[in-house]
Amino acid sequence: MSAIRILMVDDELDLELLVRQRFRRRIRKGELEFIFAHNGKEALEKLEENPDIRLVLSDINMPVMDGLTLLGQLENIHPEIRAVIISAYGDMENIRTAMNRGAFDFVTKPIDFNDLTITIDKTLKHIDTLQQALQNRDRLVALKQELEVARHVQTSSLPEALPEGDDFDIGAVMTPAREIGGDFYDFFSLDDYRIGLVIADVSDKGVPAALITMVTRALLKSAARRHDSPGACLAEVNEFLSQDNEACMFVTLFYGVLDFRNGCLRYSNGGHNPPRLIRADGAVEVLQLTGDLALGVFSGHEFREQAIDLATGDALFLYTDGITEACNPVNDEFGEGRLDELLGGVPQQSSQEMVQSAVQAVEAFADGADQFDDMTCLSLRLQAFRPAADG
Amino acid sequence: MTEQSHLAVRAEDSDKATVLCLTGRLDGTNTAILEAAVAGHLEAGETLLLFDLENLIYISSAGLRVLLIIARKMQAQSGKALFCGFSEEISQVFEVSGFKDVLSVYRGRADALAAA
Repeated sequence: MSAIRILMVDDELDLELLVRQRFRRRIRKGELEFIFAHNGKEALEKLEENPDIRLVLSDINMPVMDGLTLLGQLENIHPEIRAVIISAYGDMENIRTAMNRGAFDFVTKPIDFNDLTITIDKTLKHIDTLQQALQNRDRLVALKQELEVARHVQTSSLPEALPEGDDFDIGAVMTPAREIGGDFYDFFSLDDYRIGLVIADVSDKGVPAALITMVTRALLKSAARRHDSPGACLAEVNEFLSQDNEACMFVTLFYGVLDFRNGCLRYSNGGHNPPRLIRADGAVEVLQLTGDLALGVFSGHEFREQAIDLATGDALFLYTDGITEACNPVNDEFGEGRLDELLGGVPQQSSQEMVQSAVQAVEAFADGADQFDDMTCLSLRLQAFRPAADG
Repeated sequence: MTEQSHLAVRAEDSDKATVLCLTGRLDGTNTAILEAAVAGHLEAGETLLLFDLENLIYISSAGLRVLLIIARKMQAQSGKALFCGFSEEISQVFEVSGFKDVLSVYRGRADALAAA
């Protein structure tokens, strides 16, 4: 470590010798280095030459530029520097002025070198703390920028263009509580007739959760290409997530496969809030749980399946608990009752309108209360069956 | 936005186990309170901890995660964590997430202690 440089400003030339003598051990050890100036103007020049100086010890009465003027300049030009004033004993008026101009401390003449040593060390410690705080602030700014990039990566990893056909439409929205979220949704075509729909929520929020969402989404999409059965897909993802999961992070995940030929939805539900089926007439049905466990908790779990038939005009609504557990300022939950009422009250909206009106209703209900959890929903409406190709 | 939700953990001794009564909400903002409250009992090598959730009004997934961590830690030292006293809301969370099949869940204290 290089020596800490201290600028000493005093027009008494003997002081230079005295200081070098008193601090000789620490100077020899390379801990401290003293630089001397004899008035305020010279001091400013020395600071120009030695931009790493953080501590200035200054007398008050000096020719050319006095110590109080120097203090005023330091405050403007070098706010990072801390100054200790050396003044005549009992000169309270100048000491008060110096303190008001931002001096960190003072010592009196004739100099008591024990006191000077203590004052120097105390001030250096303060400067060190201050610099660490500034470095932490810079690191925090850098981290925030990284988070912003991560948020962008996460948002753009969600399926972007919502596919729309004559026979269905999809709407989706994700509103993280923090910069990045622990929810995700996904949908993908499996073949000419079937589409996979996913919604998931990782325990906890923020960066650790976001990492798990990326892994889970990729694992599930890969499993979906290889297994027709939603239960088999969940079992495979569960095996990956449960291995060496010391942090006990888990994912609640619903995965369904909708067949456009007959409207049949096969699904498996790993501990996720049950999605809703909104019939064309506005009746809201709950997709029965498959009795399965969140993913990542237990290896070897076999995931069961259920099936339900959609008619044309029916819509599916998948959501995370950030929707139903959103609270208003007096801590009432939005709840499933309000959600079902909302979903049943708006038949034949487009899917995008449906998810947006759900989020808007929750935000209106929250009435400015903080959003504690990520809010995500995904909706698909079946407009018509897709005829199977001959043969 | 990181205001801490209210959670109180009170320890009661019973013949067979330490009973920890949770009051308030258990979510990502305050899981550290529960972890701290349990740490001493874990270190002391206690083999039976009963969590009474009767006065718990809300549990988030982050809260479930901490219960799972505690249950695993107890298991690792040949102990057991039991859970009882579920309100309708809390029992629904355990039902949906499947945690009722993973954690040792009982209706009331007496049932839990009788089974232990």
